[in-house]
Amino acid sequence: MRLITLIKIGWRNIWRNKKRSLVVILSIILGLYGGLIISSLMITLNSQRMNTAINTYLADIQIHNKEFSKEYSLSDTISNIHYLEEKLKNDNRVKSYSKRTVINGMLSNSTGSYGVNVLGIDPEFEIKVTNVYTKIVEGDYFESKRENTMIVGKKLADKLNLRLRSKVVITFQDVNGDITSLLFRIEGVFKSGNSMFDDYNVFVKNNSIFSNLPDLNGYHEIPILTINDDITESLKLDLQKINNTLDVKFWGDIAVELAYANKMMSSFLYIFMLIVLSGLSFGIINTMLMAILERKKEIGMLMSIGMSKIYIFLMICLETVFLSLVAIPFSVLITYITIDYFSVSGIDLSIVGSGLENFGVGTILYLKLPYEYYFNLSLLVILISFISSMFPAIRALKINPAEATKSI
Amino acid sequence: MIETEELKKTYKQGSLKVKAVDNVNLKISDGEFTAIVGPSGSGKTTLLNCIGGLDNPTSGKVIIDGELISSYSSNQMIKFRLNNIGFVFQSYNLIPVLTAKENIEMVMLMQGYNKQDMEKRSSDLLNEVGMGDMSKRRPAELSGGQQQRVAVARSLASKPKFILADEPTANLDSKSTAKLLDIMSRLNKQENITFVFSTHDQRVIDRARRVVTLEDGKIIKDIKK
Repeated sequence: MRLITLIKIGWRNIWRNKKRSLVVILSIILGLYGGLIISSLMITLNSQRMNTAINTYLADIQIHNKEFSKEYSLSDTISNIHYLEEKLKNDNRVKSYSKRTVINGMLSNSTGSYGVNVLGIDPEFEIKVTNVYTKIVEGDYFESKRENTMIVGKKLADKLNLRLRSKVVITFQDVNGDITSLLFRIEGVFKSGNSMFDDYNVFVKNNSIFSNLPDLNGYHEIPILTINDDITESLKLDLQKINNTLDVKFWGDIAVELAYANKMMSSFLYIFMLIVLSGLSFGIINTMLMAILERKKEIGMLMSIGMSKIYIFLMICLETVFLSLVAIPFSVLITYITIDYFSVSGIDLSIVGSGLENFGVGTILYLKLPYEYYFNLSLLVILISFISSMFPAIRALKINPAEATKSI
Repeated sequence: MIETEELKKTYKQGSLKVKAVDNVNLKISDGEFTAIVGPSGSGKTTLLNCIGGLDNPTSGKVIIDGELISSYSSNQMIKFRLNNIGFVFQSYNLIPVLTAKENIEMVMLMQGYNKQDMEKRSSDLLNEVGMGDMSKRRPAELSGGQQQRVAVARSLASKPKFILADEPTANLDSKSTAKLLDIMSRLNKQENITFVFSTHDQRVIDRARRVVTLEDGKIIKDIKK
C-alpha cells in the first residue's frame, strides 16, 4: 500500500469531526505558543542580564596581573603595559579597550559608610568599552573639570543619601599598606539595570587616583571588547602568550554564574517544554481514543479486508501527527508576530522593576528567540504527538474485526 | 474449495459455555451460490467468520483450496484474506472519507497494483455493479443499496477466490435487494465467483442454489437446488 493513500485517509479522517479536531489543534497552538513565548522570555531575561553585565563592566575579555587576581593588592599592576597596549591597538580583533585602576575601599559620608569597589577609569577610553555613560540618571558623566569627582550607582546614592556635588571620603589601604583617605565630590548617578552592581561600584578618574597615590605605578585591569564573539577565545589565547604574568579571562570566567546560567538555559527550556507538552499529550490521547472508538467498525472492516496491522498503526499515527502539523504553522506565525512586535516596543515590566534590577535585568524586556527554538520546539511537538498516538494506535490494533464489523 | 472439518467455536458467557458452531463439516465447491440460513443465534455469522479467518475456531479445521488456514498466524491470515477472500457486510462498511472509486482502489493499493491497472479495474467493477456514474461520490451521498453495490465491487477488487457476505440485504429495500442479487448472481454465473451468504432473508434464500440450515451451531439441513 502506498504511503500517499494512508496520508490521504489520515488527512481526511481528521476533518470528519471538525469541531473535535479544531479543539485539539487550538490546544496545540496555545501550548506551543505559550512554550515559545516563555522560552523567549527566559532567553531574553538571561541575555539582557548577561548583556547588562558585559556592557556595564565586564566587557568580553579582562586582563589582570595574576597576583592581583589572587589578593587584589594595589601594588599588583599590569607590567609592561605599553607593549600590551601596542599589541591591542594593532590587533584587528580588538574593537576597543580601556585601562582601569581598581581599589577596594570604604565610602563614607555624614549618613554612613559602605564597602565599595572603586574603578578608576579614563572616561574617553571607557565609553568605548562600557555604557555606564548612557545610564546616568542624575548629573553628568565626568564632564566637570574638577579632578576628584565620582559617579555612583543609584542604589548606593539612595542608601547613603548621596546628592550631586556632595562630598564623600574613600578610605583604603594604599600601595605601602598605609590607610589612606581621598575626598571626592559626586558628579553623577547611574542606574545600570543591575542594582547589585549599582550598589557596590563607583567610578572615578584615573588621574585623580594617580595624583593622590604617587606610589601607584600602573593599572590593574584592562577590559577589552572584541569585534565578535567567535574570535574571543583565540584572542584570549594570544594575549595570554604575551606575558606569563598576565591573567587573561573571558567574561564567563569572571562572572561564572552568568556563563553557567547561559549554558543551562537551553537544557532547562527543553525540559520545561517537555513537561508542558506532556500535559498536552493527554488531550491528544483522549481525542484519538474517542476517534478510534467512533470508527471501530471501519477499522474492523479494514482489518477484515486485509489491511496489515502496521498500516492501521501508521494511519492512526499519521492522523495525530497531522493535527500537530496543522497547528504548528499557526503557532509559529503568531509567536513570530508577537516576538517581532515586542522586540521593538519591549515589554514594560516596571511593575516588578526592582526585582528585575536585583536580578541584573532592566525593566523593559525586548523579546527575542533564536530560530532554532522555533524549529526544535516544533519538532518536539511532532514527536510528542507521535508518541501520544501510539497508545490509541495500539488500542486500534486490539480491535477484533469480527466483533467490530457487527457493532452498531 | 472451502472445507470445514469438525469445526467448533465455543464462547464463554460468564460461567456458561455457548457452542456457537458445533462440529460443522461442510464443503463448498468453486462457483457455488450458497446461503447459510437459520434463526438468530444459530451460528451463521460465526461460521462465516471462521471460514473468513476473522475468528479462530476452538477446534476443527478450515481448509481452503487445500490450505489449512485455521493454523495461520494473525499476520498470515491478514495476507490470506487480502488475496483470497472478499467480504460484504450487513452495514456496507465503506470508508466515509473516500469516494466510491477510492474505496475500491484501496484494496488494490494494499495488494500493490500499479495506478493504471488499478484505475481500469475499479472503473470496470463500478460499471459491473451499475455504479459507473457515481464513482466520485462519497458513501454519505449514496443510498443504502448503492453503498452495498460499491461494497460488492470492493469485495471483487482483489480477485478473491470467494466472497463471504454477512446478511448483505438486511438493510436494503426490495428493489435494492433484487438489484444486488441480480448483480451477484450474474457475477457468479459469468465469472464463476463463489458466493457464501449468511442470511435469513427469504429473497436471498430463493435465489441461492444451495441452502445450508443451521440450528444451535449444527447443520440440520443442506439442500442443493
